[in-house]
Amino acid sequence: MRRILIASLMSGLWLTQVCFAQELNVPTQATAGDTLSIPTSGNGEATFYLVGPGSSLKQTVHLGQAIQLSANDLNASGRYVAILCAGACTSSHFFVVPAGVSTLSFLAHPSRALVRQNDAISGVVFPFDKFRNLVIAPVTVNFQLTANKANLFSRSMPTRFGVAWFRSGSWNSAGMAQLTASVNDISAQRVLQLVASDPCNLRIKAQQVSKGILVETDPVHDCSGNVVPDGTIVSFTANSSNGRSTVDAPIKQGVARAQLTPAGAATISAASGVVMGNELRMEVRP
Amino acid sequence: MKTISMFALLLCSVMAVAQNAPEVKLVVESASPRAVESLTERSIARDYTAAWRTLAEASEKSSPSLLDAYFIGGAKATFARALAEQKKTGTHVRYLNQTHHLKAVFYAPEGDVMELQDAAEYQMQIVSDDKVIHDEHVVVQYIVLMTPGADRWVIRQLQAVPTL
Repeated sequence: MRRILIASLMSGLWLTQVCFAQELNVPTQATAGDTLSIPTSGNGEATFYLVGPGSSLKQTVHLGQAIQLSANDLNASGRYVAILCAGACTSSHFFVVPAGVSTLSFLAHPSRALVRQNDAISGVVFPFDKFRNLVIAPVTVNFQLTANKANLFSRSMPTRFGVAWFRSGSWNSAGMAQLTASVNDISAQRVLQLVASDPCNLRIKAQQVSKGILVETDPVHDCSGNVVPDGTIVSFTANSSNGRSTVDAPIKQGVARAQLTPAGAATISAASGVVMGNELRMEVRP
Repeated sequence: MKTISMFALLLCSVMAVAQNAPEVKLVVESASPRAVESLTERSIARDYTAAWRTLAEASEKSSPSLLDAYFIGGAKATFARALAEQKKTGTHVRYLNQTHHLKAVFYAPEGDVMELQDAAEYQMQIVSDDKVIHDEHVVVQYIVLMTPGADRWVIRQLQAVPTL
């Protein structure tokens, strides 16, 4: 009975030693891509496991020596579990947080916008570190819209939970514009094409030709003076004793032309989109 | 006797699947600048649930190809690497009894990306050579980026964070 009691006490002592030996002293937090040294105590061999979002490590370690984790073992941000097994297992967890901003994921819309439109342009930025971890800590993102070296718009926005965004109206002048998002010296660029808006002050002139009337517009501009792009449709309509006839013609080099065949007194008009042009009244000779 | 055994086996399998089916509660009212449409809300809840179920299954089987259905970009690359390493080390992670309180915090003006926060709880078991070496009730927060795919929303980023 006495021997059993002594044996029990001895085995209890041994178990206690094992438990102490398996203590892991992990930090509460590390940074992605850093190396890490985890001290252990005791002696003998143990199996060390590291389970994280992007890694699953298993290696034999010597208790009493520090466990060395490489940058590659810890490059994914998230929650890691470190386990040390020598007979029984003990574990601890820690977080790896993202490193500094290395790239920007920049979503800009649209790639082509009409001039003078409210809230026509938007941009969203997600900052990432070099391991593609989303940087959650706030950083300031500078958004800038430039065209012909002129600064059309600029705004600074801090990220919130790893995202910054803006929305803006488009500028008055048609042409190529560059949208830039930057964090310190890291930037991402998108090209935006601003195109003329709907025609404004659509004016037409007409002359009789051998096969009817040739109608053409003056050079078509939008209300900001930008030339309306080729291909925009202008509808010419003639009302006469022959009835009503409509011809759709695309703008070519800033002007739309059509040939109509009214008879007698005719009223000729033009429209493009929701914009009406002037009306012409003509007496068409046979 | 054989029929009873088979039924018991089937019942166990069904129970195991049921136990592993993630429970997702989604709140979208705080999303801005774009409001989340009800159809999108349903899709997000459905696809996030399916993504976690897939992740659990992929982890259980150490099969990175299962991730293809609901993960893309950085999230897929990260988890695929972990699963490949799991296979090498004979270790895998079990995600059991999952509950996810998901909150949409950002929905891009053009609707092409959504950021969510997930207050997740699950039982995490780490198994090595068929032996559970770690069993823990985990309460953790995730930052999630989801983008719309052809017929579903997929996870582009799933990142556990110490605090939000």
